[in-house]
Amino acid sequence: MSSEFKIYNATELWQIETSLPSIPTFSQNLDKVLGNDGIQLGSLTELLGLPGSGKTQLCLQLCASVQVPKALGGLNSEALYIDTNSNFTLSRFKEILFSSLAKCQRIMDSSIPIREEDALKKFHYVKAIGLEKFCAFLYQLPNFIRDKPNVKLIVIDSIAFPFKDGISMKQRTGLLFRLVADLQKLTLKNQIAVVLTNEMTTRIGLSTGAIVGSLGDTWSHRCNMRVLLSAPEPLENIRLAAILKSNIVAEDVGKFQITHEGIRDVQ
Amino acid sequence: MNKLQEHVYLTETILRILKQNRIITILDFLQEDAEKLSTLTKLNLSQILEIRQAIFNKHSANLIIGSTLFVNNITTKKFILTGINSLDTTLVSGIPVGLITEICGLAGSGKSQLCMQLAINFVKESNNIVLYIDTKGDFSAVRIQKILEAHGLSHKDMAVILLKIRVVYIWNIEELIRLLENIKKGVLKIENLSMIIIDSLPCLMFQHFGDNNNMGLTFLNRVINYSRYLSKEFQIGFIFVNIQTRWIDQDITDPEDTESACSIKDLTYNEKRTRCLGKYWKTIPALVIELEKLKLETNSCVTIKVLVTHHINPSAIKSCFINVSAQGVI
Repeated sequence: MSSEFKIYNATELWQIETSLPSIPTFSQNLDKVLGNDGIQLGSLTELLGLPGSGKTQLCLQLCASVQVPKALGGLNSEALYIDTNSNFTLSRFKEILFSSLAKCQRIMDSSIPIREEDALKKFHYVKAIGLEKFCAFLYQLPNFIRDKPNVKLIVIDSIAFPFKDGISMKQRTGLLFRLVADLQKLTLKNQIAVVLTNEMTTRIGLSTGAIVGSLGDTWSHRCNMRVLLSAPEPLENIRLAAILKSNIVAEDVGKFQITHEGIRDVQ
Repeated sequence: MNKLQEHVYLTETILRILKQNRIITILDFLQEDAEKLSTLTKLNLSQILEIRQAIFNKHSANLIIGSTLFVNNITTKKFILTGINSLDTTLVSGIPVGLITEICGLAGSGKSQLCMQLAINFVKESNNIVLYIDTKGDFSAVRIQKILEAHGLSHKDMAVILLKIRVVYIWNIEELIRLLENIKKGVLKIENLSMIIIDSLPCLMFQHFGDNNNMGLTFLNRVINYSRYLSKEFQIGFIFVNIQTRWIDQDITDPEDTESACSIKDLTYNEKRTRCLGKYWKTIPALVIELEKLKLETNSCVTIKVLVTHHINPSAIKSCFINVSAQGVI
């Protein structure tokens, strides 16, 4: 009789962890703060921030970065974008995608034109408005991944939005933890990076400041990495990214800017 | 329920006859009238009673003589040192073996970091094996290797330590129960297992939050029972990671000075912290280690305040400080 459980020893895991590639953010400073040179495959990252702090922009950049050709050490893979709050705009994504790919071409010194259609085919978009649609899609996600094994990034923008209405607090926690456990099991096995965005909420009287991520204290434990994005100067493009929680890197603050081309280092 | 098994008197033919008469399990056999069994099996009454006695002997709880208990008590290992000096001093003797220990704290307070450091320290200078049950993908072998590297260990030494840390991914509470059951039944054998770290339990328990039945509590109870059995039987320490949540009470305090015409009411907010997993769980751990992150002091080091409570004397709370840095938890 053998056990159904796979017991790893830490050396095996070390080999897996060190061989897993990462998705670059196109800002070296941000990559450094995140550790592993970006968002590592198999990880679960939560982006927090007030409206306009650049959560969606960073997600779009990652969806473009995942397409970086193999010649440049990229993944040449596909991305799945689960839109729950209708924040997505195709024109903005095209802008980021094509300028990122153009940058790659400049580095490679290649003159082969990018076929827009091919690049866009590597981007899968799901509009899941409402809790039912969102849950239904997540339940059939294993099938989707089986059909499209080249998907290496799943973005959920945002995780909090479907839960805003029509569910009690207790049920919300239960459902959320079940969904995320299933999602993480799937993505760890298939080596897929998951990026979630979350909104901020106000809890008056907290000693650590009244503005905290939504979905409560219980949720804040769930993700391996929590990154708080903020705009120090409201009208400028500079953004700060603070690591609130991480299992691999020390808490630090990174700096990047949002340009027409997407996420870039501050010059 | 256990099936009736062969015995000196219970031959295959007799078992078949019994089965035809719907006497299949041990319980069926015990509940049946002895005389009826005797006529069915053609065994005499004393033989039937002898079989019954054999069943009772086999299944009853063991009687242990006091002197044996005493010898066991003084010869078995009762504590495992954490290897973190300040924590060991505060704990007096380390993490108890045969009992349940809880580590709790808010998000990002260093629970997983402490667990990983404990895993290193437990295996470092011994043949002990640590089983790390990971329920949210927080275990990082690279982080462990970096800590060891910062202490100047050679690649070979690092590999030796890493080999002794075993990790298993568990995604729901049913799986956790099956895992513990497998260890109990010996289906899953881990030599020299000295510590099981579960990081984190609420992650599994919250999946049953908001169910209208009390299934979550049933599962929790089974996990606790298995853990207690395993920790006693195999002489291992059990560390459960629990989380804390914050609640805010709004107190409206009337100013004492009521003479002033416009009485301004002061609003004060009281932040309260609760350990999750409910009231039942509160009584379970023999030792509670509570972590609280203090303000960032320097760039490379985070200080964590540790509060230690033993269940024997819950009012005596001791505290100490530990530091988390690139060198791990010191």
